[in-house]
Amino acid sequence: MMKDANIPFASTISDEPVTLPDHNRVEKHHTHSLSILIGGAAGTGIVTLENLLSDAFKQHGWYVFSTKEYMSRVRGGSNTTLLRIADGPVYAPCWHVDLCIALDENAIPHVQARLRDDTMILADTSINHEEVQIQSMPMIDSVRKVGSLHYINSYVAGVLFGIFGIDSIVLSKSIKTIFKEHDPLKNEAAMQEGFSYGKSLSSINLPKLPEARKNIVDTFHLINGSTAAGFGFLAGGCNMITSYPMSPSTAVLNFMASISDIFDVVVEQSEDEIASLNMVLGGWYGGARAMTSTSGGGFALMSEAMSLSGVSETPAVVYLAQRPGPATGLPTRTEQGDLNLAIHSGHGYFGRIVLAPGDQQECIDYAYLAFELADRYQMPVVYLSDQYLADSIGMLPSIDFSNYEQRRYIQPTESSYERYRLNNTGISPRGVPGLGEGLVVSSSHEHDERGQSTESYQIREDMVKKRKQKVDLAISEAHAPKVMGKGSIAIIGWGSTKYAISEVLKALNDQRLFHVHFTWVHPLNPAHLEILKNTEINIVIENNVSGEFADILKRYEIQIDHTILQSNGFPFFTDQLKEELSSIIKDLR
Amino acid sequence: MKHPLERPDTQPAWCPGCGNFGILKLLEEILTELEYDPKNTVIVSGIGQAAKTPYYINTHMFGGLHGRALSVATALKCSNPSLHVIAEGGDGDMYGEGGNHFIHTIRRNPNIVHIVHNNMVYGLTKGQASPTSQKGYKTPVQVEGVSSEPFNPISVALALKAGFVSRVNIGNYAHAKETLKEAFLHKGYALVDIFQPCVVFNKVNTYQWFKNNTYELDHSHDRSNLISAMTKALENDPIPIGIFYQKDTLTFEESIRGNGAKALFTQTHDIEKIQKLFESY
Repeated sequence: MMKDANIPFASTISDEPVTLPDHNRVEKHHTHSLSILIGGAAGTGIVTLENLLSDAFKQHGWYVFSTKEYMSRVRGGSNTTLLRIADGPVYAPCWHVDLCIALDENAIPHVQARLRDDTMILADTSINHEEVQIQSMPMIDSVRKVGSLHYINSYVAGVLFGIFGIDSIVLSKSIKTIFKEHDPLKNEAAMQEGFSYGKSLSSINLPKLPEARKNIVDTFHLINGSTAAGFGFLAGGCNMITSYPMSPSTAVLNFMASISDIFDVVVEQSEDEIASLNMVLGGWYGGARAMTSTSGGGFALMSEAMSLSGVSETPAVVYLAQRPGPATGLPTRTEQGDLNLAIHSGHGYFGRIVLAPGDQQECIDYAYLAFELADRYQMPVVYLSDQYLADSIGMLPSIDFSNYEQRRYIQPTESSYERYRLNNTGISPRGVPGLGEGLVVSSSHEHDERGQSTESYQIREDMVKKRKQKVDLAISEAHAPKVMGKGSIAIIGWGSTKYAISEVLKALNDQRLFHVHFTWVHPLNPAHLEILKNTEINIVIENNVSGEFADILKRYEIQIDHTILQSNGFPFFTDQLKEELSSIIKDLR
Repeated sequence: MKHPLERPDTQPAWCPGCGNFGILKLLEEILTELEYDPKNTVIVSGIGQAAKTPYYINTHMFGGLHGRALSVATALKCSNPSLHVIAEGGDGDMYGEGGNHFIHTIRRNPNIVHIVHNNMVYGLTKGQASPTSQKGYKTPVQVEGVSSEPFNPISVALALKAGFVSRVNIGNYAHAKETLKEAFLHKGYALVDIFQPCVVFNKVNTYQWFKNNTYELDHSHDRSNLISAMTKALENDPIPIGIFYQKDTLTFEESIRGNGAKALFTQTHDIEKIQKLFESY
């Protein structure tokens, strides 16, 4: 037994709450962007092409954003990846595209609705379509000549660089990196074939290219929401993850597993989600910093353990990547439909915090914060992502991880220790077994100060009050929404809609509009909502059918004048959202 | 007489004559004889009459949800391998509600002692069938008698090659104590299924019934032989008690964290390593 207290970063509840690092960024939007949609079957290397082009475009000096939509199958079907390249930050998808690459015949009907009259469509010479004008390329013949259909990705990337008239040296470098272990020379040859062909097309009517910002963006990091969350959890000291795989959450489990050889992190695939969250609680009770990852269906199974976390005051972190329900729903698609589930799951009254990051930077910051808050308030913290955010790749400038303040709230116990001792904060010092002289008695029953079951109504009242007091403390320390701009019409969003909304507001350039973005979505601090009482119009935009967040705001007597809602499995597309919002505000005079 | 390990100011909420009293005494005596430091010992339990046991023993405890003690205990042991971890509960808790965790905990093989109070009936919810109730046993719910085959935890554990598989009868105290002690000394997952009577609701499987229907495995049983262990496990008239099978294998926490891993609460990540990893993206 450890008699000497040796807790790294020892902290107590009387320390002021942590502040997130100020990354010192001026967030400016791009002024011009170009969109490329790649369509093909699952398993044909569409992800490889996404990675290759993202890397090469970044090296060229463009800001890059990419997002995918895919079917719930491993091979076949019709999937797309959207790439946007720009002269400034870009973090949201558009519906209509400037350029489309169809890797097979099925891709064309699949993407047809996203094509404009002037969209350039590139496809193999063998592919024809009655309604769509195709710019043919001898893709299949050329790569067969090189050796195999495996080289299609490199060929297509070459065609694009040729059409764009960009030096192929950048692309060669990316090919060397990406295909390091998969025939780099053949891939280079296929790319050169494509490049020559692309160059021969340079006379065609090409969409205007964004200006490159070399030496700025080529130092940036290309990262998706899942990986960003993983880095944040690591920064928060996560050293245990117990999960049952479920799309679209599994990438976080994979990330943790992939780094478990360098960090002391316990990674265990549980038999079900019930075990997942109970293991998380066992971990925290023993002094670990544990989390689980899941999606709505799995989280539904965790309801009872959420409640256990609440009453036993055992911290927990749940990464919940939303997908559309009910039940199996659309397993590989996106929605913000589990906010109410995250806030209300579990029986009985207990406090919890729900965080919903809006971009890659927030994915890191709030994953770090999830661990800090769970430890500080001894309650479950749900981190709400979604398929769109988890799978989208954006660019991040450098981050200094030493700026994330490390804290540990567990304390060595004395022989008189009582786990649930009442005090003026509601938060009793948390001991762990084996550290100090006391006994740590944690219980799912209503309990007295030392953790023994009780049916005393007076103690029940004290303990209910104690747990409520923690919620009040969390509310008083809650993060305010980010308010961007000022005006009379508030455009309100939460979580992953952040950049779609801000891009649309910039494009509309209407002085009346300003953006209020919530990342800390529960529990809300009423003082932070005052700004919404001083507006003329409040419009809530969220990716679910019922306006879950709008309903929450209404309970705080915020007037909601309009909502823009969607529940089709897609994220909000900036061009579509712009039209919807325009049609609402044009009548507001 | 109060045992020194009894938790101060507590009154067991069991019925007079309950088999749980014997199991409580057994556990107190073994922990004392093995000189386990209560400050280094954790009992994890679920819900039910049996799961109340740790509330009366003065060690650390985590009283969790019905059926989920094994999940908590597994992660706890891994987070601090120097702790002695016990998971304790009844037959409904461990084999019914927690059946899935029972299977997968055995597969993982954490170094914990798994104590199951098996009285073949639901006590706390007042007399319904449990997974181990025998066929034909009548209850207010199974009015025509239980029709399902009784769950055999011993043969299930053996099928999963559990490292230590045993059954005792609390009415045979000396034998129970000797066996449970060996479970504590075994490295890896150790199942101890304890026959005990529910004096209020089970009028069939009484102290006398368990006495008449069990026999001790003797030295002729080779506990390293999985096949003969399985043969013994399937005997039910009379039912063998004792250690069916024992084999040392790598534990869960050893295979995940290596030998002599430290308590996770003493560990931190190297921020420079996080930084370096991030730079590779």
